[in-house]
Amino acid sequence: MPFPFKILFLTASKRGVNTIDMKKIITLMFAVAVAMAARAQETFPVNGTTNKLHTVYAFANATIVVNADETLKEATLLIKDGIITEAGTHVKLPKGCVVYDLKGKTIYPGLIDAYTTYGVADAKPLPRTTAGPQMESNVKGAYGWNQAIRADADAYKLFMINGAAADEMRKLGFGAVLTFQKDGIVRGSGAVVALADAKENSLIIADRAAAMFSFDKGTSTQDYPSSLTGAIALLRQTYLDANWYKNDKTKKEYNISLDAFNSLQALPQIFETTDKFNALRADKIGDEFKVRYIIKGCGNEYQRLDELKATNCKFIIPLNFPSAFDVEDAYDAANVSMAELKHWEMAPVNAFALEKNYIPFAITTADLKDKKEFWKNLRKAIQYGLSEQQALKSLTTIPAEMLNVADKLGSIKSGMIANFIITSGNLFDEKTIIYENWVEGIPYKINDYNLIDLRGTYDFTYGSKTNLQLKIEGEIEKLKGTAVIDTVKTNVNITVSGNSVSISFTPKDANGTIRLSGNITTGTSKMTGKGQLPSGEWTDWSATLKTAFTNVVKKDSTKKQPEFGKVVYPFSAYGQPHPDDEGFFKDKIKEFKTRYDAVLIKHVTVWTNEAEGILKNQDVYITEGRIVRIADDINAPKMAYAKVIDGTGKHLTPGIIDEHSHIAISSGVNEGTQASSAEVRMGDVINSEDINIYRQLSGGVTTSQLLHGSANPIGGQSAIIKLRWGKAPEEMKFDKADGSIKFALGENVKQSNWGDFNTVRFPQSRMGVEQVYYDYFTRAKEYDAKQKAFATSSEKEKTAGSPFRRDLEMEAIAEILNKKRFITCHSYVQSEINMLMHVGDSLGFQVNTFTHILEGYKVADKMKERGIGASSFSDWWAYKMEVKDAIPYNASLLNQMGVVTAINSDDAEMGRRLNQEAAKAIKYGGMSEEDALKLVTLNPAKLLHLDKKVGSIKVGKDADVVLWSDNPLSVYAKVEKTIIDGIIYFDNEEDVKMRTDMQKERARIIQKMLDEKKGGAPVVKPVPKKQKLYKCDDLEKDYMQE
Amino acid sequence: MKKIVLVLSVFSALSSFAQNKSVLITGGTAHLGNDSIIQNAVIGIKDGKINLVTTTVASNYDKNSYTEIIDATGKQIYPGFIAPNSTLGLTEIEAVRATNDFRETGVSLPNMRTLIAYNTDSKLIPTVRTNGILLAEITPRGGIISGTSSIVMLDGWNWEDAAYKADDGIHINWPRIVSRKLLDEDNLLWGPYEKNKEYNRQMTELKKLFDDAKAYNEAETKEETNLRLEALKGILDGSKTLFIHTNEVKEIVEAVNFVKQYQIKKAAIVGGKDSWMVTQLLKENNIAVVVARLHALPEHPEEDVDGPYKLPFLLQQAGVLYCLNNEGDMEAAGTRNLPFLAGTAAAYGLTKEQAVKAITLNTARILGIDKTTGSIETGKDATLFISTGDALDMRTNNVEKAFIKGKSIDLNNDQKELYLKYKNKYGLK
Repeated sequence: MPFPFKILFLTASKRGVNTIDMKKIITLMFAVAVAMAARAQETFPVNGTTNKLHTVYAFANATIVVNADETLKEATLLIKDGIITEAGTHVKLPKGCVVYDLKGKTIYPGLIDAYTTYGVADAKPLPRTTAGPQMESNVKGAYGWNQAIRADADAYKLFMINGAAADEMRKLGFGAVLTFQKDGIVRGSGAVVALADAKENSLIIADRAAAMFSFDKGTSTQDYPSSLTGAIALLRQTYLDANWYKNDKTKKEYNISLDAFNSLQALPQIFETTDKFNALRADKIGDEFKVRYIIKGCGNEYQRLDELKATNCKFIIPLNFPSAFDVEDAYDAANVSMAELKHWEMAPVNAFALEKNYIPFAITTADLKDKKEFWKNLRKAIQYGLSEQQALKSLTTIPAEMLNVADKLGSIKSGMIANFIITSGNLFDEKTIIYENWVEGIPYKINDYNLIDLRGTYDFTYGSKTNLQLKIEGEIEKLKGTAVIDTVKTNVNITVSGNSVSISFTPKDANGTIRLSGNITTGTSKMTGKGQLPSGEWTDWSATLKTAFTNVVKKDSTKKQPEFGKVVYPFSAYGQPHPDDEGFFKDKIKEFKTRYDAVLIKHVTVWTNEAEGILKNQDVYITEGRIVRIADDINAPKMAYAKVIDGTGKHLTPGIIDEHSHIAISSGVNEGTQASSAEVRMGDVINSEDINIYRQLSGGVTTSQLLHGSANPIGGQSAIIKLRWGKAPEEMKFDKADGSIKFALGENVKQSNWGDFNTVRFPQSRMGVEQVYYDYFTRAKEYDAKQKAFATSSEKEKTAGSPFRRDLEMEAIAEILNKKRFITCHSYVQSEINMLMHVGDSLGFQVNTFTHILEGYKVADKMKERGIGASSFSDWWAYKMEVKDAIPYNASLLNQMGVVTAINSDDAEMGRRLNQEAAKAIKYGGMSEEDALKLVTLNPAKLLHLDKKVGSIKVGKDADVVLWSDNPLSVYAKVEKTIIDGIIYFDNEEDVKMRTDMQKERARIIQKMLDEKKGGAPVVKPVPKKQKLYKCDDLEKDYMQE
Repeated sequence: MKKIVLVLSVFSALSSFAQNKSVLITGGTAHLGNDSIIQNAVIGIKDGKINLVTTTVASNYDKNSYTEIIDATGKQIYPGFIAPNSTLGLTEIEAVRATNDFRETGVSLPNMRTLIAYNTDSKLIPTVRTNGILLAEITPRGGIISGTSSIVMLDGWNWEDAAYKADDGIHINWPRIVSRKLLDEDNLLWGPYEKNKEYNRQMTELKKLFDDAKAYNEAETKEETNLRLEALKGILDGSKTLFIHTNEVKEIVEAVNFVKQYQIKKAAIVGGKDSWMVTQLLKENNIAVVVARLHALPEHPEEDVDGPYKLPFLLQQAGVLYCLNNEGDMEAAGTRNLPFLAGTAAAYGLTKEQAVKAITLNTARILGIDKTTGSIETGKDATLFISTGDALDMRTNNVEKAFIKGKSIDLNNDQKELYLKYKNKYGLK
């Protein structure tokens, strides 16, 4: 029945259009008053008479959702002083308490958002002091060396109440949030605060609730780090330094940043990531330093569930579903990538995917463009499979546990903070209204549950008209009326405010609008009052309820889980779903359908790269990832998934190995901000979803060495990968490959072509370059000796004084001296090549490979003498001063001199034509065809110390082979199959099929987007996006902006 | 080192001057450039022209009327390859600003002429013609109207005698509908692609320029001379070709409409990566495509992996006139790889003879020089070369002899000299 028993709690009405300001003021005044009572500030003087309140509030007859696992029916909640004192079904109301009858209503714990910046102002960047590079921190004081390490930032000190923001969050049902200053790689501590309008002193629930991290250097103006790989190195070194600092008894260095960093360690550690792979990268750091991060995800976690599950991390995920693209124009639509289309369709499924895989996660409002999207998106996630129970947990108990405040927040239990919301029913139901949000015992009215429900059919009388029928329908808050007046159906406007009602309508035969005002008599189902006719004449009116409104619950047929495509691996064009067709929630990664137990290639011309040379009409049998047999006639294997390929007229070669590549790298190839960046590792930033991996496969490449750029004399550590398209970054790495590192000489490292401002960073000349090496290697030698001495010292010695400080940069250089890491050096002119060989001679190291080495032919004898290899371009020259004397005969001359010579790409496009580049050595210098092929197969394998495993076709070696349509050195040769570890990763027939499948899949999703647009959903105009392609000398400033 | 180079180049120039005699090439396989091939070819050269194209089986020619006979048995003969849209001779070392002459400051520069900046003594040129490229269209870069190109022979004492067709065309960089800005002062960091807010303004200006040019060149009296508008005269009267540089499909469509609107008689799209989407439109309006460097990655991840490689084939199938060019990174030095772009096009759909045509007769047609060059046909210039093997394949491209207008040209270059120098140093064979 309408007209329930009610207590008017707040006098201001939500509907009072003209009283909004007044309402706010009243609410605020009231709130402050209650806050004083709830969490009193004992130390504050009082202006006026004190107003201490210890009222008990009782919420009776409610359904209380204690937490996601327990619901009490007909229960009562008692709160006092901002704390829950009792919640249960047999609660005795104490004498002298305010009772609210919540019959038919539901109480939920107040929601918790574990990832906000509520009430904490954005950090302001410090002014840059130089137009050129900024090598040092601009922060003054006894802080650490890098501006991006802001371990000393404490949110609880920065927190200031923000009424509008709190109001916005409260309307969504939130009562408490974690807040922090989103700036830097180490972001200090976050605080848990209540979302009430009160003095900050009463709002801080947990001051240092969590330590906050990211890969984004934020407002730091310091150059280092300029890449993701640099950010990772910086964080790793900070862990080491903080640990050293903790144990250093001498305290010669006082360091606020490291001190603060150490004090963060006891807290929950939250790491913000902007991509699923960054989550894996964070976890890797965590593993190294024995930290289990809580990962703030970005919404694409469903794309790599197995790996993310294996991290055992908890997640905080946003609901930032992308808008549909405007794909009406077919040309525009071509600019929307497959990954974008699929992510648009699948983003709402992310939460469900995590739930299905038992990955614990909290849900945050972070990353939403408009917080109002929150409920819409959450309900969408539920529609896509997320259970309501999980949704509630992810908004209450899980974030509470993550932040160690589960004893205070997240459930409705005695002793906990009185944060709860009152709703009309199931919180997740679309029709449900949140009436009130109580925060620390302070009520915030969102919707008025005392609003009288006028819906029903009435006998209606006004003026001379009697026995009219007035029908009132719609939502309680937004009524729609109709009346039949003189046989004409007329719309009637009805507004309710408290017990007052106003009605207006314009009958067809009247000369204007009839306006009626009146009073609802509580309990009698009757409205009476006076009104004015268009003539100005006053009249009486009344309406008496005849039949009450019955809510017809429509079975919502659209509620079933919508269809969405399958996750493809990698999540990109030319990715493939797992063959079991079950989409994302699979426990184990299965291999692609191109995985066979065995592959047999028959009647093929085999370029062995071994003493046998080129063998005609051979059969090659591959199983378990290896080449097992090469013979005249091998019988087809009788295994379930054997693939027999007719190689008649075709050529089989070892897989192409690119010694110098910058594909498959995330967020920056150069950490060129210092003369040495030996501490950075390309292995930390492998992007296994780069489409160029697939493109290289289509050119027969099976292994690539991913090198740091050439911006500094001592670059970063390289990664060697096999192009296992579809696998995760770590799975791409070549197993047990020797460590390597990039060095560079010449114009890039002395910043010759970087514009007029880059004249600060040392070195600026080839003279300086030599001294960089002498300096670093001398220091590394001393470091190494110190480390060895420390390792053999007694425990007592180890703990006395200043402990040994691990230095990742020195460690990498010491590895070179200890022959555990090998140098690939970017080089052009003979003087500098000669120089580095001499530096090596005198300091006891040997360059492994000179890469580019376009003047190598001038010092081939010296290289040969030292056993140094060369990895060159075929015919590049004249693009800068130092390549003036580059000649295309270089490879041929070096090879003739007995130098192990390779041809590399340094270019994603050329990488897939390396066979053609090798063939140029035939033209320029008359190399034999067999030797020319070795330039891109066996020789780079030797340079990478991998020739025992790859580089030739030999029984027992890895089955990394390529089937060509023609002589592999011919411009007319095309790759038909590229096989790595016996798995076909590129298949020209499959490729054609995938193109068609992809077009179909695109068309399907595009149709869906068009339907959404028709339905009025907002759409975004597509703009072409070009991928960043890295070459040696590419620099970036905003490395996280990709 | 410098001395040797100097002596060599003087020698080469002298020798090419002296070698204007009649030559008969016999045997060999001749790829005529017009999609046909002759086995056992006989080709006669007299007074700089081809005066005979036949086969050894025929006997209607007189061996004795030629001063030199070259036996090309087992070898391949091609018309000189033509590199359109090239900066050869306008740059020596890209990173050294002092050596760059392909870009003038400003936006609308139709009257900038590459011919007078073309350096016949560029060290790059001998390395390019060594691979069979004997003619090039020297093209400016930058601005919206970059300037006027000229076609040159890759042998000559100075630009005057290198000129093959002076001022053949004007080059427009079609305003980008979406554009990308450099974000920092060092021009190293590119921002994201955005809709070009300037597009409408740029188009208005471009159209106004053409309107003004039309009015100016039609007017009976000229109040004041306007060099820019004078330069555009050739486009309006059809004596020059308008080359519109663009890759995006929407821009191509706009460019075609522009050509129609201004009734421009000769126009070509340069780049045209998306041209396969609008072949009908291009064909209907007789607009050719100077195809963007084939050795490029697809524009979008989902595009066919071999998308750029097969673009010539798609245009061939659709009946659009096209030729190949090498604009892009390190373009001048890389011009020598033009034959291999054609080789790739042959691997991805074209027949080998169509691929030859894509860097010879098709190019000549688009550049408006096909009456005198571009194929091995009687009456045309004797601009051709002999390679020991298939010149489109790097495995076999080996140019032994080359003629420009009947003159045998020097095929040595600095790189070969350095090679020999160090071979000698090391005592290698």
